[in-house]
Amino acid sequence: MNKYTVINPHSKFTVLNTHVHNIDGVAKVTGRAEYTFDIKLPGMLYGKILRSPHPHAKILNIDYSRAMEIPGVYGVVTGKDTLGIKQGIWRRYKDLCDEQILPVDKVRYIGEPVAAVAAITEEIAEKALDYIDVEYEVLQGVYEPLDAIKKDAPEIHEGFERNINVTRHIEWGEVEEAFDEAEYVREDWFKCGGQAHMCMETRAAVSSYTPEKKMTIYSSNQSAYYMQALMAGVLGMREGDVRVIAQYVGGGFGGKFELDGAIFCSAILSMKLFRPVKIIYTREEDFIATKRRTPMFYYVRTGVKKDGTFCAREAKVFTNGGAYTGMGATALYLTGFFHSFPYRWKGYRYDGYRVYTNTLPSTSMRGFGAPQAMWCSEQQIEWIAADLGLDPIEMRRKNSHYEGYEVPGQATIASCGIDQCYDEIKKWIASKGKLPANRSIGLSACGFMSGGIFNWFDTPYSFSSAVVTINQDGTVELHIGAQEIGQGSNTTMAIICAEALGVKVGDIKVHSGDTDHCPADLGAWGSRQTLMTGNATKMAAESAKKQLLEFAYAQSGLNIVYDLDIKDGWVHAIARPERGEEFVQLVRKALRGKDGQRIVGRGYYTPHRKGMISPAYSYMLQGVEVEVDEETGKITLVDSMTAHDCGQPINHLGLIGQLEGAFSMAAGYGYLEYMPYEDGKLMNPNLVDYKMIRSTEMPPANIAEIDTYEPEGPYGAKEAGEGLTNPTAAAIGNALFHRFGIQMKECPVRPEMILNALKEKKEKEAQGK
Amino acid sequence: MSDPTNDPVICPVCGKKAKTGSAIDCARHMFGTGDKPHREWVNAQGLSFIDLLIDQATTPGNASYQILADVIEKTRPKK
Ligand SMILES: [Zn+2]
Repeated sequence: MNKYTVINPHSKFTVLNTHVHNIDGVAKVTGRAEYTFDIKLPGMLYGKILRSPHPHAKILNIDYSRAMEIPGVYGVVTGKDTLGIKQGIWRRYKDLCDEQILPVDKVRYIGEPVAAVAAITEEIAEKALDYIDVEYEVLQGVYEPLDAIKKDAPEIHEGFERNINVTRHIEWGEVEEAFDEAEYVREDWFKCGGQAHMCMETRAAVSSYTPEKKMTIYSSNQSAYYMQALMAGVLGMREGDVRVIAQYVGGGFGGKFELDGAIFCSAILSMKLFRPVKIIYTREEDFIATKRRTPMFYYVRTGVKKDGTFCAREAKVFTNGGAYTGMGATALYLTGFFHSFPYRWKGYRYDGYRVYTNTLPSTSMRGFGAPQAMWCSEQQIEWIAADLGLDPIEMRRKNSHYEGYEVPGQATIASCGIDQCYDEIKKWIASKGKLPANRSIGLSACGFMSGGIFNWFDTPYSFSSAVVTINQDGTVELHIGAQEIGQGSNTTMAIICAEALGVKVGDIKVHSGDTDHCPADLGAWGSRQTLMTGNATKMAAESAKKQLLEFAYAQSGLNIVYDLDIKDGWVHAIARPERGEEFVQLVRKALRGKDGQRIVGRGYYTPHRKGMISPAYSYMLQGVEVEVDEETGKITLVDSMTAHDCGQPINHLGLIGQLEGAFSMAAGYGYLEYMPYEDGKLMNPNLVDYKMIRSTEMPPANIAEIDTYEPEGPYGAKEAGEGLTNPTAAAIGNALFHRFGIQMKECPVRPEMILNALKEKKEKEAQGK
Repeated sequence: MSDPTNDPVICPVCGKKAKTGSAIDCARHMFGTGDKPHREWVNAQGLSFIDLLIDQATTPGNASYQILADVIEKTRPKK
């Protein structure tokens, strides 16, 4: 049974943080919610993609004449049917736009699309793949970043010496002097694995190109606006001629805001055939041909004083970038930034190197580089505390961020509840009493961002926007560019809109995920929607409210801003709440007063001058109780407790769901989800061999919600639900350290690693070391 | 060493002033940009851009940035 407590509840709201169920919940549980898989268009064909069996090879020739002879096959496309444009999501940096989704010259990973077929059924399309003859010249491949930077390594992209794709450097303070001040310095190397996003809905798209030169794409994605802009770019079309619809999306987790083979190939086939084409990835395709969490090698050197005061930290990180840049370049930067979190360092230096290899490209995934950073940081901090004989919680606490702290030249911390998090976790540990011999508790701290401030997509639009329209019956249309991917953002925006306007959540109709009808917004990534689209929504609703109140003011003579308000559909004088009228009455008066023009409020938000990374940061501390079977090395999570500072919660139920979901994904990353490659080939691309955490393995996810007030967020809200993917792996590692004294340097921790570490420890002890 | 506040170091390739305007920040800027003109400038000083980068990546400390910073300082036009 999960426990949920609220620490420091503050001001009361009418709608905000009350018990609101997801507004799309009924449609989903009754099966009426229409996903891309459900789309059927007249004359629709089904597409399948032929993929490279080689990790690195030149494409010499593709002959698909035999495939075209199969009855039911309508067409085949290859790289030659495309404009050959190299695309990428970092549009501001042309070097980083390095991927042709149907490559013309060579393939760089196993599973890369080479050709696509459209046929009358999926089965016929699949059969036709066997009749496409591709002539390759196989090249030497390289799979690990530390091999790929060697002098004699094969060149994966022309002009990138030693396969170094991107470098990032972060530094503040006098690092060497701060290390000189340290009385104890510790160095460690760590290895962090990849992780599959494992969305319940695999990549899916239906594209329909018409003779009017318009393209409509239904797709499972995290940002309809990105898809529209990126597709227009690769197809040589105007953005306005591409419509992207993504009403219901079955998960994203960072993997669905880049172009994928389903969207691109269905569009190219549709352009060639003037028929709608549907492509749905199988689970295996989703594993081998969509991007994954970035695997990383981490070197960490940390200097502290004997009393536990942190002095300096240096990190050098090599990420396995795979074949293309994608969003992995951002993970490279963010891992370096969050590796400093949530602590104060006199000197901090990070050198990050993203290296091309002949493996599946790596990209953003929930936590965006921070789970890797915390796996290394939080374990090393625990080991340092043990080396110095200090209390790990108090050592963390004395070095932590606080409200008003400025990470030099990087970020301003306007709200920070980490201190209360330490108190809550201490209480939880004390409540456990003496644990059985095979159990122990590990903990880990972290912080996370509320959306990125960087405009690497190079868009002239605002980062978030919203339009609020009030109907004559008092119902409200809210148009947002944000993307609902199952995280509940439409519900969050409905709550913010209802609170700001003074009406009920049931009065709000949210429209999102359609570029023809919704304003541009960068979409669902980096925990940006509650803060960024939330601000835009609040602004739009407040604008509409102000316009309405002008009519109430005209009849009452009261001051709009100070004396009048709307709550729960009742327009009234603040000092005399009984003196007022129904919201709908005022709306009708306003319509008459404006010659029938509807009330329309607009809102937008782009963070300016808010540091280098994000306008706001959340904080959390997590404890996990771990049981270990010494015979088999098997780990069982018995219990957990998270103390989480998310500013002002907007949706209580949504918050719990997000925190539990993040925890389950993070636990999987820590000890189950393993992606082994052999010569560039993923060895477990299915749900039997790739171990996700199941309900039977989930421990209670207890939560203490620490409410602070974030001045930059709508009603004081900030991130919740992504950051909690960050601490769990390290907390599991720390529990193993406390139970056995073993130090786990590779993530995920697998049973054989525990057994080997125990064996090694016993051997050392036998030798008297 | 020059005082970066009064006499900021300007990138000899693109003319940008990096962060504080010190030579080491200029070196960081050159590594960070890493495009063809910046690489060629470093190589033309008798250094190897890629070797310095790999050294920086694989050894603790800031030696490579410091080597480049020293060269940038030496090649600054005299006033
Ligand atoms: Zn320059």
